[in-house]
Amino acid sequence: MEKKKQDTNLEEIYAKYGPVIRFRVRKSLGASNPDWEDIVNEIITNVIEKINKKEFRGESSIGTFIYTITSRRIIDYIRQKSKVLKHAPEPTPYPDPHEHIENKERAELIAHAIKKLKPKYREVLHLYYYKGLSREEVAKKLCITPHRVSERVNYSQKLLKKLVKK
Amino acid sequence: MKMCKCEHLIDDYLFDRLDDEKKKKFEEHYFNCPNCFEKMVERDELISIIKLKGDMIFQDEYVVEEGKGAAWFEKIASLFTPKQWALISVYAALLLIVICVVIPYFKLAAPQFFISEEKVRGESITLISPVIDIRIVPSKFEWKDSDDDVEYKIYIYDDGQKLWAATTKDNFIVLPEKIRKQMTLGEKYSWEVKAFSAEGTLIAISSKVHFKISRSE
Repeated sequence: MEKKKQDTNLEEIYAKYGPVIRFRVRKSLGASNPDWEDIVNEIITNVIEKINKKEFRGESSIGTFIYTITSRRIIDYIRQKSKVLKHAPEPTPYPDPHEHIENKERAELIAHAIKKLKPKYREVLHLYYYKGLSREEVAKKLCITPHRVSERVNYSQKLLKKLVKK
Repeated sequence: MKMCKCEHLIDDYLFDRLDDEKKKKFEEHYFNCPNCFEKMVERDELISIIKLKGDMIFQDEYVVEEGKGAAWFEKIASLFTPKQWALISVYAALLLIVICVVIPYFKLAAPQFFISEEKVRGESITLISPVIDIRIVPSKFEWKDSDDDVEYKIYIYDDGQKLWAATTKDNFIVLPEKIRKQMTLGEKYSWEVKAFSAEGTLIAISSKVHFKISRSE
């Protein structure tokens, strides 16, 4: 009975933290790195092992526990590579140009939705996300407050979600 | 979705604009905050699409799909964010309550004013005649009638000294011949009226009006 309960917990942990671990690893190592998926699997296995061995004693939250294991593994990987390559791997630019968008149809939908946005929202997205300007720089360019920039970005995101759902 | 206090760090994290300490703290945070993680994934997806699709997605003209009426409505709606519209609605509702409920409620209370040392509740009485210089000694003094059942007391002063006083329920009084004879041409006089309730409470008063009886040529 207890074994079944533990399995359910591990399944829940895997479902909840799997995407977070994947995101963190891919962000640190880059989607073009061929090892990133192996590292993710290693981390998940390591987490499950530690939980099974009762190494998680609840002194911190389970999220922090998994975060620590993930960070350590990433650091180890970078150190290991540095020794082999004699220098640390180049940090990947954001967003990774090699990163393929998993759902091409969805990407098309979002791109189409962006075209449908009002110019004032597209303008903010263009300067803030495409040109990579800071909130303050965008605010100065558009003669609005930085707070208004954040509001427009957040509102654009809401509109896009709505448009994509339609 | 609930707003998290760390949400503002999402973009800076994705663009690597956070220092090491803040970055670590935020990473630990999103391992514990599904809300921030979900929003970060959405942002990441949006940024990736914007960067990969390039400048062209911002170059096309904005097309309004709805009819003209909808466009007009959208134009007004886009002046403020939904949050601001909600605030405006609350303020408008409060203003409406103040106009419809609070102001009429306070209007029922009679105004208060002071005469010498006396504190008086009520309205002022408007004097009708005489209020300007006249050529003959007036025989009748008239003022605007009050709607309430009141008794008026009229005072006539000669150079600040009380010359005559009388009470009446009407909104006018005829000056007795004896007093008329005491009033002389070329002199300045003044008069005022006070209204009392049936219980004898002073409820209204006029201002003191001066008039002069000019010498006829």
